[in-house]
Amino acid sequence: MKLTISAAPHLRTRRTTRHIMLDVLLSLLPATAAGIVYFGWEAAVTIALSLAGAFLTEFLWVLLANCVWRAPKETLRTFARQFDGTSLVTGLLLALCLPASAAHWYMPLLGSVFAVGAVKMLFGGTGKNIVNPAIAGRIFLFLSFAAMTVYPAPAFGAIGNVPGIVTGATQLQGMLAGGPLPSSLDLFLGTGVAGCIGETCKLALLAGAIYLCARGAIKWYLPLLAVACEGLFAVALEGFDFSYFLPSVLSGGLLLGFLFMATDYVTTPKSRLGNLIYFAALGLLTAGLRKATGYEVVSFCILLMNFTVFLIDMALPVRPFGGKAKRRGRAREDRS
Amino acid sequence: MKAINGKPFLRGIRLRGNKARSEDEPICPLPPPARVAIPLFGHAGAPAQAIVRVGQSVHRGELIALAKGTISANVHASVAGTVSAIETRTDGTGVTGEYIVIERTEGDDAFLPPLSHPSPEEIALRVREAGIVGMGGAGFPTAVKLTPPAPVDTLILNGAECEPYLTCDDRLMRERTQDIVRGGEYLAKALGASNLLIAIEKNKPQAIAQFEGTPLRVVKLKKRYPMGSEKHLIYCCTGRKVPAGKLPADAGVVVQNVATALAVKEAVELGKPLIERVVTLSGGGMDAPCNLLCPIGTPLSTLLERAGGQTERAVKLLLGGPMTGKALTGSDAVVTKTTSGVLLLTARETDVSSPTPCINCGKCAEVCPMRLMPMQIEFYTAAKEYSHAERYGGVTNCIECGACSYICPARRPLAQAIKTAKSELRRAKQ
Repeated sequence: MKLTISAAPHLRTRRTTRHIMLDVLLSLLPATAAGIVYFGWEAAVTIALSLAGAFLTEFLWVLLANCVWRAPKETLRTFARQFDGTSLVTGLLLALCLPASAAHWYMPLLGSVFAVGAVKMLFGGTGKNIVNPAIAGRIFLFLSFAAMTVYPAPAFGAIGNVPGIVTGATQLQGMLAGGPLPSSLDLFLGTGVAGCIGETCKLALLAGAIYLCARGAIKWYLPLLAVACEGLFAVALEGFDFSYFLPSVLSGGLLLGFLFMATDYVTTPKSRLGNLIYFAALGLLTAGLRKATGYEVVSFCILLMNFTVFLIDMALPVRPFGGKAKRRGRAREDRS
Repeated sequence: MKAINGKPFLRGIRLRGNKARSEDEPICPLPPPARVAIPLFGHAGAPAQAIVRVGQSVHRGELIALAKGTISANVHASVAGTVSAIETRTDGTGVTGEYIVIERTEGDDAFLPPLSHPSPEEIALRVREAGIVGMGGAGFPTAVKLTPPAPVDTLILNGAECEPYLTCDDRLMRERTQDIVRGGEYLAKALGASNLLIAIEKNKPQAIAQFEGTPLRVVKLKKRYPMGSEKHLIYCCTGRKVPAGKLPADAGVVVQNVATALAVKEAVELGKPLIERVVTLSGGGMDAPCNLLCPIGTPLSTLLERAGGQTERAVKLLLGGPMTGKALTGSDAVVTKTTSGVLLLTARETDVSSPTPCINCGKCAEVCPMRLMPMQIEFYTAAKEYSHAERYGGVTNCIECGACSYICPARRPLAQAIKTAKSELRRAKQ
């Protein structure tokens, strides 16, 4: 007879971190597939390299941190036990926000090694990173390689009748510079729209996001709030020209960022109110910065907002059921 | 009276009931065991003080230990026999306390004189004499609840039984409907409460139908854990919120378990003290799940034998429900006044995996019925910063339902951390 002792409760939900991460990976499958269809084998290679880089970085980190040479078998078991799929999510997300023709083959590899190694593992692994690793990886590459600003357009469809041609400026930049508004349908399907691997086909992104909401992994109203705030503020900045709403929210990496990157648990506030504030601010910030800079700034906005998470969490009071809100703030007894 | 629907309550968790195993098993009296070990601390508050000597023979129902102070309860002999020992033991949950061991012999009952048409004061006195405590799990002396600090207009009988597996209250409500109504009426009279409600979760349609034929107002509650929590039950039945840190009486309400109401009825009309209770035996490790009426102090091994408990198959033996019950190291524990169930859970039913890092998903805060921040409490408790745990998590309001630990995808021991922080804060205050 071997009875286990532990504190109550003795029932646990079957849904663990691994299940959630598997759901996120599944939800990204449509966008991944669309990216490969639109951009061909180059996209597939980029995705594979990024995934491999992310996984191997975590693998080697855990091995080295546990002194693998002392007890190889046990270390491998430790890795298997702690592996929750977060590095794969990071790798895939990073690949989806890179241009398909990553001019140098090592770019996605470098980005994912930086994302997982420097942004996640260095800070303590899963749940300890301050900013979203995929976003940080993208920005790292963006600041390091000029190739990150050259986006190919998919091999079919036509906006501006330049099919299959690598373009420097995206439709978004053209639009922000006062150019003609692109067709919303083309933007939605990504036909002929230059951009990153995963961000062109909005239909695929939405399908994935609906799956995530249905599985209870993300709250449907949070990305919706961010998108609505972004669109409406963009409309307001254009002198309340409502024809800007759809092109604004459908262009660039906005949906990929808001649906899959901004909703990362680790880098969002803990409470419901905190999340509402966070996502509303993210939408407003994106619209404002887009207008001010004339560039695609979604990843920078998410990075900036990530730094506010701790402040939001500390500023909001706990409101117990049936009780008055307790003001948070510095612990007073510490001073005396 | 026709049943009404209770207010919905949005937080909390949905749990599989797992009640089918034992809900159709009628309550069956357990033959009195050869030996009982009656704990003197089987209630909230101070342990009772033994007033018998070793070697003394006692009748069934005789007072053997006297309540010490206001928040305490009398203890009575649950079988007739001879006191063979008064000893200190540590049971399988790790709780150390004093027990009176009685070897059973044939003997008479020695109950209190029955009361007819008792006054409110007489009822309260009888409840105190009979050693009645809250039988839902907390074990708070019922007599104390009958002298509330604020005027009370509503009494709610708690038949929610939101813990999975447990069916003892359900069976009592089906089989002893009229007795529970009488007990409720005595309690309402003692309190001076004009509203008498009984709250039942919708997964017990038979109990609801039974009570619809009585003068009690039945409130049908949505099946949600922890619906049976006092504060949430009051909110769902009356719409009143108990202020944080205050008693239900401050909202004009008192809540009593249905089993407690039955005990009150028996104490008043039969003079019978609280010497037995219904215990549900269930879980995948039990061959014959059942609901047994057991004398207080019956050893768990006797119960397991009766229900065909296969400890080889099980990984956890629990005293109480699976959400708030205590895990035991072995069957060396006894039935107390608050034991609602004995469960043998198999590896498929429970979970013994170890925690992984918090991913900040916020699900614990989402399900917390008290709207606290369990992840913050756990974080600061791990760093022994208990005052921060209170400031950023509101730990003192916790009702210890365990919903946070249940939902956590990272298997964090949240409820355990909260209990630690609570006891540390309490100690710091002293």
